[in-house]
Amino acid sequence: MASQDPFDSALDLLRRLNPKYTTNNVNALINLVPDLTEDLLSSVDQPLQVQRCKKTGKDYLLCDYNRDGDSYRSPWSNEFDPPLTDGTLPSERVRKIEIAANDAFDIYRELYYEGGVSSVYFWNLDDGFAGVVLLKKSVSSANESTGSWDSIHVFEATDRARTSHYKLTSTVILNMINGDESLGEMDLSGNMTRQVEQDMPVEDDSSHIANIGKLVEDMELKMRNLLQEVYFGKAKDVVGDLRSISSLTQQEKDRSMHQEMISSMSKR
Amino acid sequence: MSVSETIETASSFILDAPPGELQDVITDVKTLVNDDPAVIEGVTPAIEKYNKEQLITTKLPGASEQVIISEYNCLPGGRFFDVGSQSSFEFHHVKQKASNPQSWALESGNAELIKALLRDVAPHVKEHYPSSPAFGVYPVQDDAAVAVAIIGNKYSPSNYWNGRWRSTYTYTPSSSELTGTIQVDVHYYEDGNVRLLTTKPVQVSLNSGTSAEIVKTIASHEKKYQEELNRAFGALSEGAFKNLRRQLPISRQKIDWEKIGNYRLGQEIGGGRSVTR
Repeated sequence: MASQDPFDSALDLLRRLNPKYTTNNVNALINLVPDLTEDLLSSVDQPLQVQRCKKTGKDYLLCDYNRDGDSYRSPWSNEFDPPLTDGTLPSERVRKIEIAANDAFDIYRELYYEGGVSSVYFWNLDDGFAGVVLLKKSVSSANESTGSWDSIHVFEATDRARTSHYKLTSTVILNMINGDESLGEMDLSGNMTRQVEQDMPVEDDSSHIANIGKLVEDMELKMRNLLQEVYFGKAKDVVGDLRSISSLTQQEKDRSMHQEMISSMSKR
Repeated sequence: MSVSETIETASSFILDAPPGELQDVITDVKTLVNDDPAVIEGVTPAIEKYNKEQLITTKLPGASEQVIISEYNCLPGGRFFDVGSQSSFEFHHVKQKASNPQSWALESGNAELIKALLRDVAPHVKEHYPSSPAFGVYPVQDDAAVAVAIIGNKYSPSNYWNGRWRSTYTYTPSSSELTGTIQVDVHYYEDGNVRLLTTKPVQVSLNSGTSAEIVKTIASHEKKYQEELNRAFGALSEGAFKNLRRQLPISRQKIDWEKIGNYRLGQEIGGGRSVTR
């Protein structure tokens, strides 16, 4: 048997093991095969951590893209915490778009999430720029049901004549827990990833905000529908395939009666 | 990493394998440890534990009915027994295959109850477990109690999902107590990784403790639980899920990104609505 690439095996494993513990499993894999550290950290999406910006008092989200060593850059102040004198910053032009994007997605967050935290980070590429749009919200209510939603949208914008080519990879991590005495424990958790590529017109730098905004908004709408279908439709259907509430004999009777009705009606 | 640490990590991966995906997980683990024979040998106890915990089913050579692998029916020397077919057999835990069956006779003070349960659980399983089910009844706790195990699996790897329903119950005649656990495990992994894991404990005091009463109680608890679980899907969808992210803003319109700067005003007019939890 041809030997598999360890990175492919690690990704296959992470697609199978309980998604609730992805962070622990990534750490275990890194300990097991240290050579995979960078590849795993840059390609496996993990739940986002929240930190408060010391300068502005606003919350922001931490990920591999605003990390430099052990410090994280706040999108609100553009400063690293703990402070770095030589931390990697976006160019002046790209930082300008980044500021506008953070303001825009702050509004987007309020309109769609009515709470939560958002952060946008940009960095320079040779022929354009790239960035990540992050959104996180958690809810908990008195009846024991809790949930958290993490959106991670990574994109590249490649400059062309009067247009820009956007490549977007989006992951949503959705974890939910429900439980009480009659239900016991119910844990419905996981993540889904989708990609899209599109050329969009660009007049000036402000066009990028609208283009990325539309791409992310469309993608999140699509993914929300998909998550709804998988979490509350598919998962429930599979449970029904495993065990049937009504007796199978009764189901068979109902089915044949239904068949008879159809065939007798079609004879008329 | 030392060999024992590597074995510990690899074992934890194996014990977390979703229904029907043990072989895939073992293949990945082998690649990651570079086919190290010491590690492959070292994870065998984890594979054995997995098979027993997950009530893995197998067919005896020449038989059509499935039998269960569990902690309830293992014999010294690594063999397992099945009361229904009155046989014991060897089980290869990595290949998940049974071999070398021999005739085996039940010796138990609860033999009558066990045989009655085997007869009475069968129609319950037949009527409510459409997908590759199996069940078993075993003497446990030094013959002080009787265990019932029921399992239904459905694997659809070509459609990227697999599922498992496990029910285990222990009836103690001296106290007339029936305790048990119902567990559901569903894995969906097309362009993602979604897992449903549920656990529902069951504890009831019975009156007569007859086989018929035990099966009736199991059937009613399973039915009630499944209805409860179906309701919980709806509650999560209508509750937590809706509260995390709206499908559309309150205006029921997508955002006009060219005029995104104007939204601040609108937001303040609608002010006080937003709740950060």
